Amino acid sequence: MGMDTVLDMGDTFLTGKNTLGAIDSVVEEKVDREDRTTVGTQFVDDARMTCRDVNVFYGDKQAIRSVSIDVANNEVLAMIGPSGCGKSTFLRCLNRMNDTVDICRVKGEILLDGHDIYDKSVDVVPLRAQVGMVFQKPNPFPKSIYDNVAYGPKIHGIVNSKTELDGIVEDSLKKAGLWNEVSDRLDEPGTGLSGGQQQRLCIARAVAVRPEVILMDEPCSALDPIATATVEDLITELKEQYTIVIVTHNMQQAARISQRTAYFHLGDLVEVGATDRIFTNPLHQLTEDYITGRFG
Amino acid sequence: MEKQTPSTMDIVNRGLARRYRKEKQFKLLGLSAIIASLMFLVFLFGSIVANGWTAFRQGAIYLDITFDEQALQVENLRNANYGKLIKTSMAELFPDVSGRSQTRRLNKLVSSGAAFELQDMVLSDPGLIGTTKLVRLPVDDEVDMLLKGHISRDVPESERRISDEQIAWVDQLVEAGRLQLEFNTTFFTAGDSREPELSGIKGAIMGSMFTLLVTLALSFPIGVAAAVYLEEFAPSNKWTDFIEVNINNLAAVPSIVFGLLGLAVFLNFFGLPRSAPLVGGLVLTLMTLPTIIIASRASLKSVPPSIREAALGVGASKMQAITHHVLPLAMPGMMTGTIIGMAQALGETAPLLMIGMVAFIVDVPGSFTDPSTVLPVQIYLWADSPERAFVERTSAAIMVLLTFLICMNGVAVFLRKKFERRW
Amino acid sequence: MLKKGLIFGAVSLLAVSAVNTSSAAGGRDYISIVGSSTVYPFATTVAEQFGKTTKFKTPKIESTGSGGGMKLFCAGVGVESPDITNASRRIKSSEFKKCQDNGVKDIVEIKIGYDGIVVANSKKAEQLKLSRKDLFLALAKDVPDPKGGEKVVPNPYKTWKDVNPELPATAIEVLGPPPTSGTRDAFVELAMEGGCKKFDFIKAMKKSDKNAYKGICHTVREDGAYIEAGENDNLIVQKLDANPQSLGIFGFSFLDQNGDKIQGSFVDGQAPTFENIADGKYPVSRPLYFYVKKAHVGVIPGIAEFLAEFSSDRTWGEDGYLTEKGLIPAPAEERAKFAADAKGLTPLSM
Ligand SMILES: Nc1ncnc2c1ncn2[C@@H]1O[C@H](COP(=O)(O)OP(=O)(O)O)[C@@H](O)[C@H]1O
Ligand SMILES: [Mg+2]
Repeated sequence: MGMDTVLDMGDTFLTGKNTLGAIDSVVEEKVDREDRTTVGTQFVDDARMTCRDVNVFYGDKQAIRSVSIDVANNEVLAMIGPSGCGKSTFLRCLNRMNDTVDICRVKGEILLDGHDIYDKSVDVVPLRAQVGMVFQKPNPFPKSIYDNVAYGPKIHGIVNSKTELDGIVEDSLKKAGLWNEVSDRLDEPGTGLSGGQQQRLCIARAVAVRPEVILMDEPCSALDPIATATVEDLITELKEQYTIVIVTHNMQQAARISQRTAYFHLGDLVEVGATDRIFTNPLHQLTEDYITGRFG
Repeated sequence: MEKQTPSTMDIVNRGLARRYRKEKQFKLLGLSAIIASLMFLVFLFGSIVANGWTAFRQGAIYLDITFDEQALQVENLRNANYGKLIKTSMAELFPDVSGRSQTRRLNKLVSSGAAFELQDMVLSDPGLIGTTKLVRLPVDDEVDMLLKGHISRDVPESERRISDEQIAWVDQLVEAGRLQLEFNTTFFTAGDSREPELSGIKGAIMGSMFTLLVTLALSFPIGVAAAVYLEEFAPSNKWTDFIEVNINNLAAVPSIVFGLLGLAVFLNFFGLPRSAPLVGGLVLTLMTLPTIIIASRASLKSVPPSIREAALGVGASKMQAITHHVLPLAMPGMMTGTIIGMAQALGETAPLLMIGMVAFIVDVPGSFTDPSTVLPVQIYLWADSPERAFVERTSAAIMVLLTFLICMNGVAVFLRKKFERRW
Repeated sequence: MLKKGLIFGAVSLLAVSAVNTSSAAGGRDYISIVGSSTVYPFATTVAEQFGKTTKFKTPKIESTGSGGGMKLFCAGVGVESPDITNASRRIKSSEFKKCQDNGVKDIVEIKIGYDGIVVANSKKAEQLKLSRKDLFLALAKDVPDPKGGEKVVPNPYKTWKDVNPELPATAIEVLGPPPTSGTRDAFVELAMEGGCKKFDFIKAMKKSDKNAYKGICHTVREDGAYIEAGENDNLIVQKLDANPQSLGIFGFSFLDQNGDKIQGSFVDGQAPTFENIADGKYPVSRPLYFYVKKAHVGVIPGIAEFLAEFSSDRTWGEDGYLTEKGLIPAPAEERAKFAADAKGLTPLSM
């Protein structure tokens, strides 16, 4: 079986309907290391976000090369790959956080619910309300816990009264699983919480503006295992209401919480597929090398 | 059989003593540097205080003044001969003094400003006319210097500006309880004067205040706005590099250059009045702006980018992220920079020379356009005055200036602590 | 909030000051005086007296130096330019011409009296009897060759005894004002040039090569014997007290005020006393002037009255209050002439 067969297989995935977890037989022959065309289930039917031929440059340096991928509704999409392969860069394209980097240029098409978010007419402020973000290092504002959560709703004018705002704060803290721990000290500084609590506070802050998609960039990398487990549970719950894209360098974590996984390699999206399938039966040699720990 | 190789621990232990010794030496070096500079400071302050503290006391003479109707000529209170009242009173105290020149020497014990004090009293309360009252009047600076021991009684009479005869009179007055050193309120309530006993620093303090108000009101908002623009909005290109280089350069330009600029622009081009705190403030604004911009940019830079990202991440606009989160965090640093800039401005004389604020001004300024001078200029002017009594006043004015500087820096520290401790 | 308040403050401040400015530009209700720092102590005394005894405001006096004052004074006519400038020397013809060119046509010149420049040392040391020639030889950069001949060599003298065997064998160390000072100008012209001229071959140069003449007579040595002690004469007095070896150069009023600490050296046999300077016997003394812009009289309130105050005998006469500040009064005829000039506003012609 040559290269063509594999490519054909890729094509079936491309055209196949909702092929999540469709592969059960082990593919013996992996796609060659030199081939960087994406294999696997890049595209889905009920896409929340669709990315087509996305290229990202930092000055002259290309950080993302021609990536095309869909994010399905209410799924957790994990992005894995060795350090510096462009996971964060790509994630930050999804809510145009890269706009803040002067030298960063994004080419290609990224649609949210069918609308191009890079269109000139699109305002990033409402976009970021729709696509929230949680960062690698917990970064609560140096304000009270209450103000941290209430900040988003306030600036977007989502609420009309104090009671409504109180409701949103409570609701968001509950969704983030933090309510029980902080309900009696909402006016204490958010920076005084433990690392895990801070990260959940950041999640509550993101949730409070009622986003459709939440982007998480290695949200657990600065946390201890117990805090990590709490956040992971939280993500699994949040999936019911939100679409989540999460970057992680922890493959077990990806396996635990995501439905689909995308593997990035040096700026290329090498393989996408159902998480079970990726970890048991990767199609690409590079993916296999990575998940078997040969590099990364 | 095999050679014993020294274990890592041995090697480490061997070097340990040397490492600690180095550390100790360094500590000692730092400590001695601090002690040396502290000693200089103590010496400086000590000599200033030792020279200047006597200026806060002032000789006062108590005379029974009869506000004689005839001598005063009630129709013209402004030009009346108030000096005569003092002379009459002195003559009563020393009935033996006779002859024109002796009387003159006697009357010289009282300050030439005393008559004006009587004038003020009568003008504000004409009811005094016809009454006799014990009045406290300033003494001449020579008498003051004698009381304070700055004039030695041991030197030959010809070399003193106060004669043996006058010293005897002074002693008599002291004996009678009519002459003593008291707290020098004049020093804090009067403007400049050529008579040391009548001079005060209120004019200079007010001038400094008006000038600094203008400086603060302009340089803080402009400086912060410029810093925010450069740090947060400006694209990084050749132009912003150019601007940055220029700002850093301006911070190092000798301050007199700003005075020349102020002369050319504010006085000659815009035709603003000379010697006015308004112009002084404008010039000092130019001078302090670079300091404030640099300090503000540094404190903006020190705000962690994660805070900006957090704000942008929940959908704050750039402006909101800056005003809601970055500025409050950078504010203590900006305020510290501003206050340091203000303190610099407070101590500046060179640029003010060019715009006419190095001047003799008696009236205490009451507005931003009244001619006025500032504290350091007053110090400079007094330091250059021949009268002995101005020496202590110079030091006293330096003490006042230092007090202001210490207060301002104290406020800077307080603000920083207050805003930093909140979280 | 804070920022809004500040911006509001700044705006209202500017608005207020703009209003004030326009009213200030409309007219000035106080006399503006600039000029020499030597005249400053006298002018300020008169100004203060004037402010207290009349209905007018106290004049504002800036100490800008004679040259700086002339520049401001001659800049033009109008409220923004000063009414009077003080000078520790006479107006130069170049300055007079500048004034004329700028529309400052009628200038009234008033000589207020004299100032002596003294060379003093601490009372702890011996009083010196110097001559102008001694001062020239001790302080000039180049002096006539001690071995004879008509050429100059770099100043070789180390002690006063080297200069003149009658003087003590102490090192030459003179604290004096920097070149920017009027006192220095006067000292160089009156004392050093006066001594310099005693050498015939140098005197002859005045006609043949004026620049070389000036170069020799006016250049102060820079090898450390002459120490520039800043403009602050009080500081020089203090230093003399601390270091009895050294001499200091300053205005007579500082000697007058510190007679218990320092003593003035004799110059050409004359002690720097009030009487000797007033009589013109003491050689290092200079007249002090002020100049009035006639066009401002009647426009700026109080100028005529200020002139009257200044030129009254009560002020600048033999027993006037300025003598207490160290002014050496001019002879009676001179005072009478300038008082008449002040009254009649007689313009200067050059
Ligand atoms: N702000 C930036 N400026 C320049 N290069 C950047 C910047 N951010 C990331 N890069 C580069 O882009 C590449 C991808 O980085 P990143 O997306 O952070 O990788 P990952 O998150 O997968 O570790 C890296 O080579 C990195 O050096
Ligand atoms: Mg990353």
